[in-house]
Amino acid sequence: MQISRLIYCVALLTFSALAHAAQAGASNVGAADFQKTARPFFAKYCMDCHDDETKKGDVSLEGLADVSADNASMWKRVWEQVALKEMPPRKKANQPKLMERLELSNWITDGMTRAMKDKGGFSEHLRPSKANHLDHDLLFGAAFKGLEPSSTPARIWRIHPQEQLVRLNDLISLKRKYDPERPGLWTHGDQIPSNLEGETKVYFGLDGYLGSFNDAYNFGVGGFQSNLSLVRDHGLRNYPFLYSVNSSEALQIAGTAEKVLRFMAYGPAAEPYQFADDINKIPGQYRNLNIIFYKKGIYRPLTPVYDLMNTPGVSDERLKTVINFLFESLTLRPPSKAETATYLDIASKSIKELGKEDGVFVGLLPIFLDRDALFRPELCENGKPDKYGRVMLQGQELVLAINAAFSYIRPKNDHLWTALSEGKLKTREDVKREVARILSDENIRKPRVLQFFREYFDYDRAPGICKDRKTLERDGGHFDTIYASMNSMVANTDGLIELILRDDKNVLQEILTTDRVIYQPYTSGANFRDGILFKTDIAYFMNRGKRFVEFKKYEAIAPTKDNKLVIERAQREVYDQNMLHHIFPNPAQPIYVRQSPFDQGRFPPAINALKAITTVDTRERLGILTHPVWLVAHSDAMDNHAISRGRWIRERLLGDAVPDIPITVDAKLPDEPRSTMRQRMRVTRAPECWRCHQKMDPLGLPFEKYNQLGILLDTNPSNNWGHPVDTTGEIILSGDPALDGPVKDPAEMIRKLAASERVNQVFVRHAFRFWMGRNETINDAPILQDAYQAYRDNNGSMKALLTSLLTSDAFLYRKVKPEVPTSSTAKK
Amino acid sequence: MQRRISRREMLRETAVGVGALLGTSLLPKMAQAADKPVVQTAGGPKRVIFFLQNHGFDPLTCIPKDLNRESCALDGLPLEKPMQALEPYKNRMHIITGLHGRHTNPGHSAYFGALGAYRGGTGVPPSAATIDYVLSRSLPQTILPPLCIGMESLDSMRARPTLATLSASGPNQPIFMHCDPNMLYQMLFGSIAEGAVKQHYEARSNVMLEVERVAQLKTKGLPPSEGERYARYVTGFRDINGLNEKLSGISAQLKKFAPKLDDRYSNPKFETDWHDALLEIGIAALQANLTNVLTIASGCGEYFGSWKGLGISDSGHGLGHIDQPGNLIWTKIRHYNCEMLIKLMKALEATPEGTGSMMDNTLIVYSSNNAEKQHSEGATWPFVLLGNGGGRFKTGQYTNIKERPINDLYTTFLHGVGTPVDRFNIDKTLANINHSKLGPIEELLA
Repeated sequence: MQISRLIYCVALLTFSALAHAAQAGASNVGAADFQKTARPFFAKYCMDCHDDETKKGDVSLEGLADVSADNASMWKRVWEQVALKEMPPRKKANQPKLMERLELSNWITDGMTRAMKDKGGFSEHLRPSKANHLDHDLLFGAAFKGLEPSSTPARIWRIHPQEQLVRLNDLISLKRKYDPERPGLWTHGDQIPSNLEGETKVYFGLDGYLGSFNDAYNFGVGGFQSNLSLVRDHGLRNYPFLYSVNSSEALQIAGTAEKVLRFMAYGPAAEPYQFADDINKIPGQYRNLNIIFYKKGIYRPLTPVYDLMNTPGVSDERLKTVINFLFESLTLRPPSKAETATYLDIASKSIKELGKEDGVFVGLLPIFLDRDALFRPELCENGKPDKYGRVMLQGQELVLAINAAFSYIRPKNDHLWTALSEGKLKTREDVKREVARILSDENIRKPRVLQFFREYFDYDRAPGICKDRKTLERDGGHFDTIYASMNSMVANTDGLIELILRDDKNVLQEILTTDRVIYQPYTSGANFRDGILFKTDIAYFMNRGKRFVEFKKYEAIAPTKDNKLVIERAQREVYDQNMLHHIFPNPAQPIYVRQSPFDQGRFPPAINALKAITTVDTRERLGILTHPVWLVAHSDAMDNHAISRGRWIRERLLGDAVPDIPITVDAKLPDEPRSTMRQRMRVTRAPECWRCHQKMDPLGLPFEKYNQLGILLDTNPSNNWGHPVDTTGEIILSGDPALDGPVKDPAEMIRKLAASERVNQVFVRHAFRFWMGRNETINDAPILQDAYQAYRDNNGSMKALLTSLLTSDAFLYRKVKPEVPTSSTAKK
Repeated sequence: MQRRISRREMLRETAVGVGALLGTSLLPKMAQAADKPVVQTAGGPKRVIFFLQNHGFDPLTCIPKDLNRESCALDGLPLEKPMQALEPYKNRMHIITGLHGRHTNPGHSAYFGALGAYRGGTGVPPSAATIDYVLSRSLPQTILPPLCIGMESLDSMRARPTLATLSASGPNQPIFMHCDPNMLYQMLFGSIAEGAVKQHYEARSNVMLEVERVAQLKTKGLPPSEGERYARYVTGFRDINGLNEKLSGISAQLKKFAPKLDDRYSNPKFETDWHDALLEIGIAALQANLTNVLTIASGCGEYFGSWKGLGISDSGHGLGHIDQPGNLIWTKIRHYNCEMLIKLMKALEATPEGTGSMMDNTLIVYSSNNAEKQHSEGATWPFVLLGNGGGRFKTGQYTNIKERPINDLYTTFLHGVGTPVDRFNIDKTLANINHSKLGPIEELLA
């Protein structure tokens, strides 16, 4: 890092008022105007090529005035080009200092925010996809002095859709304890797993499920999805500023709430004949109905709602008990007296109007719509701001913030509340103690940690990639099961990551280079005649170039007039075992992963899926980036997507970015079925394209070792229309000269990247964003450096990284007065 | 093994994830629209209906057989089988081909790009108001501009009773479509119910007023930027409660046109029962003058869909992989669409307005949210217009327009309703690239 340190020596001298302006959410409007900031920058670095006379690329900056709605698109281009060091061209000797670039960037984004305020707004610079516009070397160079200490703006954070589902599920489902012997099982507090169709749903009456005879899933099972939205892009998805709750969602929440309350009171909405002791004793007349049957008895939590509705009468005291219970279950904190009184008043009026039966259910709905049931406040209303306008989180807000860093529900016997009540949750050390306690307790489930890895790697996007049937089947996929396979593989990858997190050693490196794979060894109810075994995820781990060696021989069964099916099945079984051994020759162990209660609506519900874990030949696959789930997540409908894969590496591992594609560019590869992706990508070599594509394509092309489905390609050219499989690529402009250079295949590239200090730092940057819910700023540099050091010094421990982040100022302090001038801004 | 390729969870995210700030109201700018002075449209339409089928609209299913001219009268030319039900309405029809939407990025669906005529696609928030909303602001004002309804599988409509994929009132301001007829009925006609239903409606309305009050109280202490975001939540309740109040003031009108609640609402056998019910509510909303623009999204603007009630066992995404011309499934779907269009026209014909009927002052626009097919590049985007919109639009015609973007058609609509603009949602640079011309497509105007 010698180079970046040198830069920083200079940078320190020029560090200026922008330190404060860069603070997330803060605006230094007017601190620097067009004449002082943009004009001199243009004159010094741009006008040689972009005045009215030269107008290179048909772009002139000469007439470009202060930022306005009319010229916003041009300023956006300037911002990205300057921030990402695309301009001035790299070959030019006269390059702006990093701090000059940052100063202009911040001035532009401030101006854009102002100019677009009433015209749809501008917030791109706050989005996760633009976080790398802050240069990595600025953050991890020399330590800054005189920086205003970090903080995060006071805010409300809309809960994650999973958070809503987990909390509601808690009201209607029995709690499943953590089993250390089988750690992959779905446990109380884990996220709600999606089913093989990708549907994430909470089911009513799952605990009391007895059985069904038909396609009960489609007709008989009640349930609900989350009513809250989430952007479906690759990358981090849950920054607070992105979400509110709209009235459509609110009405849906009200509808869901009523169903939940009724279930809490009375159980499944079913006819008496749907309750039985033995599925086999269901009378014939009910067997042809598309319904499910429930066990007799009560299989749901017995809550105050149950008590209220199953005993006659109603009183304020009993209503209060219900209100307090619901409020705490939904907001994870006890209500204030005023809040209880408000909701008691609403419920009482409703009961008066409608009577107890309907009045209770309608009258309790508002609790589900309470602000704090949908938004977690981090407002610090009561603290005294320090000289920077910051207040440390305290009291209930601190408890909820720490809890929310890991969990979607309030754990039972929660020490956080005990610590708070005993006055032992006030200082950074207190927080550190509690974070360490939570991290060491496997009983406290931590779905947020897993969610980070999903969003960082994007592997949960694989089922969302629509595949064209013709090319899918040409490339070895099965159209009728591809999405089920992808959803299965998402669950498997969750399991693999949790396994690595339990070891907690060199976490990123291990995920990137592991030889372990979890796969689905069978499908329940598999129809061997359909060869369904190879319509599961196993098919996508195929190596097309490997010689097939028979592992097991078929022992012939003498044919009789009755055993045709038996013979077929035996032959199929042997074939399947041989294929399985061909793909996964190493020994496998059983492992549980969380998967949906219902598989495609046809099979009895199973809480979890029993999968297998094995190791693979690292010459074939090395780490998650070579698993089909990641490769598919970064493919498109018809083919591989070297650009998407390269872009992922550029952004998530190298901490760099490429500007948005101009709207006028027709970004399509030529349709040449007999050409390789690499050949078709010749069009990106055009000079106007290559400036950006050079940062992506050479990083993505090594993955041409696999096809669009993740199947390892046959290296024999005759099987690829005469083209050899070319897996070469190159790391360029990484910011770390030791990393740059050609690579012969994905394994070599991945090994280099996984061992890189810069890559691990970029990983830390992403963890920061996820847990702080915002992009990092220059003020966060010391925090990022500390977090990386903690991670590195503890052998790549995620626990150490989280402890560092969650005890940082960025996590603990909220800025309640953004306009407070700071000494750091004045000092320089 | 047959398998539904629904992936509903993913799409639920998509559907509502497209609005960047995702806090917009179910009832966009209702108050403002109601307060806005009515723009008189001398002789133009008083209402416009958009009907968008998903998975694209293959031109070969709508261009009449034996046609060898670029533009001609439809008289004497038999319609293609999927559109045959509209044969009696041919003299009120205008089939338009040759428009494109390459810049709308269709793929599976152009989403907001279909009615916005700008870059859309999966996960892309609306960058400007869509044509249905813009028209609703220009037409004689109604309480609810526009009303959007969406039709999908039962499961999906239950899981997502409202979602936003097609219409928008401005940048990052998606408009929600309604997919659950029970909820929509309650919202529009709940105030005129009798007995226990009315009592329940009123109690619930009172509770929602309380929710608004409590939500408003919790605005206190929020920093300005957060207050703005949270205000979207509060405003949503205000709009819902405001609508209730407005509707209670026109109960006679509502009673006259309210559809009859029957088993199809409470106990649908197939999804098509709900599709029909939604259409009936849409018709009633037009007749009662609740809305001046009805946007119907068959397939909810996405790329799934289900029509088991028509005897089509396939559903979901796979339907889009089928070539539409000559395909029995797609013929059934188009036929069903046509029946719906006929139902609309008949209902409006039967409702007097001025010296004629409501249909005399109506324009119906039938097309797709995804150009001509699934995995489309938007190269060609057929439209069928029905009705002459108060005499402003030509009918009984086939017109093939060479290489103009759908923006130009939407510009034409705005001319037709009496609020002429040079261009719709396209700047000069993009206009040049996409061969957009200034002003309306004259061949379409009477």
